[in-house]
Amino acid sequence: MRETLSRMEEELQEIIQRWKWVSWILVAAGLILGSRLWYLQIIHGENLRKYSEINRLKETKIQAPRGLIFDRNNNILVDNLLGLELTITPQYINDLKKTAKKISSIIQIAPQHIIEKVQLGEKKHGPFRPVVIKKHLSLNEVARLKLLQWDYTGVDIQEAIIRHYPLKENGAHLFGYLSEIAKDQISEFNRKYGNRFHFQPGDLIGQSGLESVWEYELRGEDGFSFVEVDVHNRKSISNIAGLWSFKPKEPIPGRNLTLTIDKNLQEKTYSSFFRNDKMGSRYGSAIVMKKNGEILAWVSYPSYDPNIFSIGLSTSSWMKLAHNPTKPLRNRPIQDHYPPGSIFKPIVALAALQEEVITTDTLIESPKELVFGRRTYHDYRKTGHGSINLTTAIERSANVFFYKLGINLSIDTIAKYARFFNLGEKTNIKMEGEVTGFIPDSKWKIKHLGEAWQPGENLVHAIGQGFILVTPLQMAVVYNTIATSGEIVQPFIVKKITDINNQEIKTFQPKVVKNIKKQVSAQHFETIRKALKQVVHGREGTAKWWKVKGIEIAGKTGTAQVISLSKENIHEKCKKRPLEQRHHGWFVAMAPADNPEITVSVLTEHSCSGASGSAPIVRDIIHSYFENKKSIQHTSASNKDR
Amino acid sequence: MKIHNKTRLSTVKKLNWSLIITTVTLIIIGLINLYSISHRTHSTTTHLFYLQMIWVALGITVFFCISFINYHFFTRAAYFLYGLNLTFLIMVYFFGSVFGGSKRWLDLGLFNYQPSETLKIILIFILARVLSAKRSWQSMSIKELIRPLLFICIPVFFIMYQPDLGTALIILIITSSIVIFAKVNKNILLYSLLLILCISPVAWNFGLKEYQKNRILTFISPGRDPRGTGYNTIQSKIAIGSGQFLGKGFQKGTQSQLEFLPERHTDFIFSVLSEEHGFIGSIITILLFLFLIIIGFHTAFQSKDKVGVFLCVGMSFYIFWHMFINIGMTMGLLPVVGIPLPLLSYGGSGLLSTMVALGVISSVSYRRYLF
Repeated sequence: MRETLSRMEEELQEIIQRWKWVSWILVAAGLILGSRLWYLQIIHGENLRKYSEINRLKETKIQAPRGLIFDRNNNILVDNLLGLELTITPQYINDLKKTAKKISSIIQIAPQHIIEKVQLGEKKHGPFRPVVIKKHLSLNEVARLKLLQWDYTGVDIQEAIIRHYPLKENGAHLFGYLSEIAKDQISEFNRKYGNRFHFQPGDLIGQSGLESVWEYELRGEDGFSFVEVDVHNRKSISNIAGLWSFKPKEPIPGRNLTLTIDKNLQEKTYSSFFRNDKMGSRYGSAIVMKKNGEILAWVSYPSYDPNIFSIGLSTSSWMKLAHNPTKPLRNRPIQDHYPPGSIFKPIVALAALQEEVITTDTLIESPKELVFGRRTYHDYRKTGHGSINLTTAIERSANVFFYKLGINLSIDTIAKYARFFNLGEKTNIKMEGEVTGFIPDSKWKIKHLGEAWQPGENLVHAIGQGFILVTPLQMAVVYNTIATSGEIVQPFIVKKITDINNQEIKTFQPKVVKNIKKQVSAQHFETIRKALKQVVHGREGTAKWWKVKGIEIAGKTGTAQVISLSKENIHEKCKKRPLEQRHHGWFVAMAPADNPEITVSVLTEHSCSGASGSAPIVRDIIHSYFENKKSIQHTSASNKDR
Repeated sequence: MKIHNKTRLSTVKKLNWSLIITTVTLIIIGLINLYSISHRTHSTTTHLFYLQMIWVALGITVFFCISFINYHFFTRAAYFLYGLNLTFLIMVYFFGSVFGGSKRWLDLGLFNYQPSETLKIILIFILARVLSAKRSWQSMSIKELIRPLLFICIPVFFIMYQPDLGTALIILIITSSIVIFAKVNKNILLYSLLLILCISPVAWNFGLKEYQKNRILTFISPGRDPRGTGYNTIQSKIAIGSGQFLGKGFQKGTQSQLEFLPERHTDFIFSVLSEEHGFIGSIITILLFLFLIIIGFHTAFQSKDKVGVFLCVGMSFYIFWHMFINIGMTMGLLPVVGIPLPLLSYGGSGLLSTMVALGVISSVSYRRYLF
């Protein structure tokens, strides 16, 4: 019995001991699991919660509309339209090949191309994000695509903002166009505009004109929202857990630009390039500038329709545009420079007057040709002009008169005066790709060509040929300086920047960049203006055919030689030569002649002469400007009567 | 020994109700949890919930059947069952279906049978029989240890050969827990520990497959391959942690519902629970498990004979280690091994095995009054 009892006691001890061990193990296990749970859920809970949100919430961009562009009278020039675009969401596609084939028959994009686009989009952004297949659908396409949606899942029609240029080809160079940011532009743009914007592949940016120059103001700040996705990056069907602490951002529209451009005049200027005369439509450029530097119209022709870029341009269409021999992409008023020809003569005349080489009364013999050195220099008029003064010389654009001034002045003096007018420098208008033009002098020639300046060269440079190059915009500024008797203005296009609530952000005031009253006296300017008036209104004025009823115009024609002409072909008919050898025609004018309000500078390429090529365009522009003004005065007067 | 005078108690009263209620509570938690992740809109896994309902019904039936069977029946049948199971294991080697690079299952038409799962239970029967034969509670010598170790090592060898390292390891852990409980000479324990330390580098170089090595390396530093082997652990930790104190709510666990969490119906079911019901839900579940295990041990110490003691201890360890390793794995405390969480994970064989284990405890508890 005692034995059994002690055995029982022993057994009990063993059992109690094991109980202890097991309890310890269980307590330890509970503590380990519990504290780990505490560590993960309480200490790191917030942090891990964030990770779980990052897992499921994917940012989606909400495109902000770009700022609008208005003319000086608040007419819309560049607009945003609500368009419809075709998207495919990879996650809902059952049979991509079949879908692509079906869609292809409606929107005329190769099925292979559609498949590639969808696959690339899925790889890049995941299957939840719709891939844009075609921007800007026609109504017919929309109707046919809508029917597809029953049988082909994942095909959607979404609204999209489309940049719209109501003037189409007109003003393309001024406004520019939008297209997708290129790979190498992304880092450049992020450096430049990084404080406000973050550029990503697929973003639309202004690629030329105002759209490009004013990118920072025009661009809206994109907003973003979130979609909930699952592990396969498919959009979740019901949003499970809201947005937690993630906040979507509303897009902020870009700022609006008010331009100095007059829409009405811009349209007239553009249409005046289409002519019904023998020559037909002219290629070239036109600038209409107010006395204070405000640009009223800016035309470069031939042009292109910037709207085609907004809806996505195919590579082949782009190549066609870029390699078109008429160069529709060039912004001719500032990106091309030409010899000025006779429109340079007023500067030579001013130099001669100021340097007292001649006076207004000096008579100079101007025969049909001048032999200087071993060469003969011609006048266009086979009979010559006889003995004439400066006014007559300008009126008739007599070459020999200016050859003689050239001999007396020398190139360096001519260059000095040309540079008073800021020729050979950019006007610094806010547009990309402006060229400087060129004003040569003797130092330059020795340095760059290794030859001394030949006296004979003075002659050709005195009539605006030779090495001299100017842009149409520069000549507008030069003639405006003649109109203001020495104030060189800053040409500008943007008047005002306003935000979406119409609050002014910045206003641009007219600016005089330089005053040359001291260098050239006002009285000489007056002389030149009178002579320029004779060009249109004189009996033998070179542009006498192009008057406007009721408005006096002062201007100068110019013919810029493209190739140097030999003795044999100097009088050969320009129009018989191949197009690319024909002269460019200039006409730069101001109106009204006695108190100019506007300056118009027109260059027509290969039009043979300024009088027949450019002067009719200028006449039409000036006519429209004053008609327009009259009608505005009329309406405001009748408004007052009421 | 004391003679109880409670034989007249009714059948209902003799059942261990705290064991039953705890088990049923955990089963209900498991079903709610499984419903949550299998019943999303457009879900393709809704059938899992209904299948599990059938398994639960079967499991509860099995539980009560076993409760009323004298547990000596299992120890008596142990050798036979053991032999049968070993045959199945060997059959796996010849006819088993391959899945994920290893042969673990026998295709029985209706369902796949995994002999290594049932072996866990049967080994406990064997050990209960062998160890209870020992007369005293004294420490076992090497000689006494040879028999139980042989019983353990033969099937473990086959399982490792499948290869199924996880199951082999958990069998070793459960059975050695029971053996140690039966008391082993301290020196033997020390030497075997040393032996394991010496063998492990050799095993690392020659015994382990590449993916097994990867799992262990990943456990040591989960960030080394976040898209690959570390992915499960990272997503599971995010799921658990993001549940925070109160959880995201029923069917609102984004990690589970949006499928960032892998194996969410089976091995990582606890992460679903933690994400949707937070610290509160998780700690309650862990406490319920611990309570269930304590009931198991408590039953062991109330048992009227040694067979009952070892059966209960074995089954309790069985549930304890599954629970601890599974939860530890989901929380990144232990390497990823394919071990289900008892009563919560989806799966028929796991649930049935657990219900058998609990049934045996219930049976021992029921018979503590029968004298």
